[in-house]
Amino acid sequence: MIKFKNVSKMYPPNIVGLEEINLHISAGEFVSIVGQSGTGKSTLAKMLFAEERPTRGTIEIGGWDITNIRSKDVPVLRRQIGVVFQDFKLLQKKTVYENVAFALQVAGVMPRRIREIVPAVLNIVNLDKMHERFPTQLSGGEQQRVAIARSLVHQPKVLIADEPTGNLDTLNSREIVDLLQRINEFGTTVLLVTHDREIVNRIKKRVITLEGGTIVSDVEQGRYKL
Amino acid sequence: MFVSTYRITKFAFQNFWRNFWLSVITITMLVMTLVTVNILLILNYVTDQAISSVEDRIEVSVYFEQDTKQETVDSAVSYLRGLSQVRDVVTISPDDALKRFTEQHKDSPVVLDSLNELGGNPFGATLIVKAKEAQDFTQILDALENPQFRDAIREKDFSDYQQIIERIQGTTERIRFFGLVIMGIFIAIAILIVFNTVRIGIFIHREEIGIMRLVGASNWFIKAPFLLEMILLSLLAILLVVAIIYPGLAALEPKFSFFFANDSIGLIDYFEKNGLRIFGIEFGVLVVLTLLSTSLAMRKYLKV
Repeated sequence: MIKFKNVSKMYPPNIVGLEEINLHISAGEFVSIVGQSGTGKSTLAKMLFAEERPTRGTIEIGGWDITNIRSKDVPVLRRQIGVVFQDFKLLQKKTVYENVAFALQVAGVMPRRIREIVPAVLNIVNLDKMHERFPTQLSGGEQQRVAIARSLVHQPKVLIADEPTGNLDTLNSREIVDLLQRINEFGTTVLLVTHDREIVNRIKKRVITLEGGTIVSDVEQGRYKL
Repeated sequence: MFVSTYRITKFAFQNFWRNFWLSVITITMLVMTLVTVNILLILNYVTDQAISSVEDRIEVSVYFEQDTKQETVDSAVSYLRGLSQVRDVVTISPDDALKRFTEQHKDSPVVLDSLNELGGNPFGATLIVKAKEAQDFTQILDALENPQFRDAIREKDFSDYQQIIERIQGTTERIRFFGLVIMGIFIAIAILIVFNTVRIGIFIHREEIGIMRLVGASNWFIKAPFLLEMILLSLLAILLVVAIIYPGLAALEPKFSFFFANDSIGLIDYFEKNGLRIFGIEFGVLVVLTLLSTSLAMRKYLKV
């Protein structure tokens, strides 16, 4: 599903972002990528949706070599990959429904189809009764669920969650991780980038640990080691 | 396709309204640029009319001796008509010349008495020669030195309008030069303002743009509203210019006519006949300029 082959990322003048990353993630896996701040976790995640390009090496997703993906193909890639961030990235002047629908509108989806998809994904994240609320009227956990709902509208094969619990309390964090696990059970490959020890230990699935831009451990049913 | 076009148009209008005052400033600058262009056009038209009006009045009157044979006059007419510089030759027969003279001096009995005393018709044939250009007269006068009829010509009367024309052309050239400089400055300012409007538009919409990119909106979908907004501003600018120019022409025309001996110079007529073409071309050029500026701003500030 996802292959990193000898991937390195250098930033000028001579800063190492990632170094010689070799990685294989199968379809349907739930993988936590852990490490301290500045170890290259987010860089690795960003490379998957072409926000960052590798300096060396190759990256493949579902057999598609995206190493030197053309600018016009990036939107096609991004419609197959859902992304969730720590800061939710919701539009404050749009309601929950509108925020989720926006992702479909900009992709040219017909209104009738939007009216079918949005309630369905809001139902998955258990926000169907809050669709008229604005982000400011929601808790952090609820806002993150809206972001997850938005990331699901294109039925992505891969969901990347970059520190999704960074702004949440323990209870909300658990809810979000439970939701990600549920989504994974539907068959979506989930990559969780985090430095939250408790969450990683609770998931008990594959853990890849990064340090100084390199993979120092890759363990099935692993724990947070650092 | 239709749905995307509708959404792009909606985003373009949102850009316009959320950026209302900046849009107003941009339109004002575009209008000022276009008004300058149209003033130059009007100036060009009026100058052409002025020169052609003066040129129309320039003529050489060639007076033949009283006893000149008709064949000599005819051969002079044929010769002159064969010259590329000659626009028209009108022949006035001795009888017509007499009639004209009598008519012109009907209130002057002294002149008419003198004419009667001479007995008979003292006038020879006269040719009125009109040139295509004012500067052609020197060559026409030289041509009249042809030995075939040189001796039959009693007198040549030529009013020199060349200086007047040169003065009109000189003044016009100076005004045109300043007009072009002002137009250049306005165009540069308009480009910078469009650039800035787009930059601010991108800044205001940075969150939406970021999310659009994240969820897989095509590059075209992200860029198109900014391009469309500038086409919309250009369209509004050209409509405002049309609304300014036509009443302006109606006010100017009588003032110009005063200088043209109360003859209409056809300024309104000219703009009515060519308005679609003139404003169409102006709109086209304006769109190209604003889109160029928008593209530059997007290349610099909109990373897709």
